[in-house]
Amino acid sequence: MGTKLVEISGLTKSFDDVEVLKDIHLYINENEFVTLLGPSGCGKTTLLRLIAGFEYADAGVITFDGRVLEELPPNKRAINTVFQKYALFPHLNVYENIAFGLKMKKMPKEDINKEVTSVLKLVKLEGFEGRNIKTLSGGQQQRVAIARAVVNKPKLLLLDEPLGALDLKLRQEMQYELKEMQRALGISFVFVTHDQEEALTMSDTVVVMNDGIIQQIGTPIDIYNEPENRFTANFIGESNIIDGVMHKDFLVEFEGVMFECVDEGFDQLENVDIVIRPEDIELKIDAGKINGVVDAITFKGVHYEIIVMVNDKEYIIHSTDPKEVGDKVSLHFEPEDIHVMVKSNA
Amino acid sequence: MRRLRIITLPYLVWMVVLVLVPTLLILLLSVTNLDIYNIGPFSFVTEGFEELTKPLVITAMKNSVRLSLLATLICFLIGYPTAYFLANLKTSKKTMLITLFILPVWSNMLLRIIAWETLFFPNSILNMFGISLNLIGTDVAILIGMTSMYLPFMTLPLYSVLEKMDHSLIEASKDLGASNMQTFLKVTLPLSLSGVVSGVIMTLLPSMTAFALPERLSGGKTLLIGNIIEDYFMKTSNINGGAMISIALMVVIIVLFMVVVHFDKEGETLI
Ligand SMILES: Nc1ncnc2c1ncn2[C@@H]1O[C@H](COP(=O)(O)OP(=O)(O)OP(=O)(O)O)[C@@H](O)[C@H]1O
Ligand SMILES: [Mg+2]
Repeated sequence: MGTKLVEISGLTKSFDDVEVLKDIHLYINENEFVTLLGPSGCGKTTLLRLIAGFEYADAGVITFDGRVLEELPPNKRAINTVFQKYALFPHLNVYENIAFGLKMKKMPKEDINKEVTSVLKLVKLEGFEGRNIKTLSGGQQQRVAIARAVVNKPKLLLLDEPLGALDLKLRQEMQYELKEMQRALGISFVFVTHDQEEALTMSDTVVVMNDGIIQQIGTPIDIYNEPENRFTANFIGESNIIDGVMHKDFLVEFEGVMFECVDEGFDQLENVDIVIRPEDIELKIDAGKINGVVDAITFKGVHYEIIVMVNDKEYIIHSTDPKEVGDKVSLHFEPEDIHVMVKSNA
Repeated sequence: MRRLRIITLPYLVWMVVLVLVPTLLILLLSVTNLDIYNIGPFSFVTEGFEELTKPLVITAMKNSVRLSLLATLICFLIGYPTAYFLANLKTSKKTMLITLFILPVWSNMLLRIIAWETLFFPNSILNMFGISLNLIGTDVAILIGMTSMYLPFMTLPLYSVLEKMDHSLIEASKDLGASNMQTFLKVTLPLSLSGVVSGVIMTLLPSMTAFALPERLSGGKTLLIGNIIEDYFMKTSNINGGAMISIALMVVIIVLFMVVVHFDKEGETLI
């Protein structure tokens, strides 16, 4: 990593008076894998389209490789896109689709042949060269779309939910392949996904978005362990979010009990949100600081999801140790498992 | 399958009664001595073929092919940008503009031809503006006439394919480094080919068979094949010769269509 490849500052975009992106600040380093993560309609595709050059911002600047992008039409940008809806050319076969960008670059025929063959191998579509696009399955089309973009070896690759149509196994394989490709080719990726697990496993940096606003930028570990607000905590993994009051540094009250914690720098008696991850809570049978009754239990494969009612509030706990509905239990956790956040308005 | 047959029955009846039977009749007339005065027993004759070698007929056929192809080309050159422009309009005015575009088709064609005719004479209403055209009898007059008559038939099929075209394909093309021109040549045009073929056929067919239009606008100077056939049937009552020339015209049109359809790999056009 190192130098900045893309710098986005103060980017704002409206459609028909509705602000879809609000004052976006973001930079992307060379050879960085950045994931945009957020719910449907939060502006992920719009942000990609602005970088690719298909939309123009109302305010703000995007620089790419030291140049202000606004001056450059899409075809002059060393950026390629894997479109959310593939956008494969129906009048061209698989080979011709993938070769399209290279032909535009006037690459010699033999070289095109070599590149297309090797990228087809990468996306596991050897032997599909002559196939009509319309006869491909959704997953195959998606892989052609990836191949068509990757084969150009751009400096920046924009991928709009490129693995959405694939089954779990192929999806995991492609995640691995894409990650490898990004490392090997030294390309920066901006990867859009709904899938938080995908975001956490693949990225160097995760950008959490909601409602056109960046909620948090950080490494997957930061995002997971130190969510900055209620939205991020909720969106990334399952969370218990509890109202609390900060009494002084390292001392927080919730559920009517004082707890030691590792957070500091809040006002005295400031209202805060507390996040505790379901896997960080341990259940014990004897009475403790927080007591409740098991309300439901579901087997989730590796662990049980146990819902415990405490003062009419649900707590989600992940545990490998089953309990019975109706069991009286107490909740235990360590000071470092208590994440204190500034109270969100929502 | 059975259901389909019942639904297509009216169309089949229509085709047989109004297309197949008359075509066979023409075919019969072209090689027999049947005519208005002889509808009884007949014998096969070969005089019809001699008509095809007459210089007048050959010239008229050449004129028809040349002017029809030219008119089709002009319609394409005007119609494609128009259709492209209309299809890419973002406004709600789209429907209205297209209606305006088709509106002339709703008025009587002969009337519109006569309107052009009066404008093309040296003495016309245009004299008011100090303009005196003297176009009657020129190719220009016929081409203007044909273009104005058949342009909507070229534009509409083009519009409908361009309108349906997925805009993201154009973005994909630019994303992959194609300029506007390359995008047009490699993506837009190939994807609208079925519309081009429909448009060409819809323009070529009426141009090739036109007879009222050249009659009014040529002032008798440029004969098209439609005029010749009309003369044979209506003026000289040479039924056999007229039928033979009609068959020859049909063959020429079919050959032209086959050339056109050859470019339409997907076979998504009207025929
Ligand atoms: N061309 C447009 N005209 C009007 N509104 C638009 C346009 N494009 C996007 N929007 C709106 O902007 C918002 C953000 O859209 P965008 O496609 O960026 O969302 P997204 O985060 O990619 O969602 P998804 O995950 O469902 O793909 C949505 O409310 C959408 O309706
Ligand atoms: Mg999207």
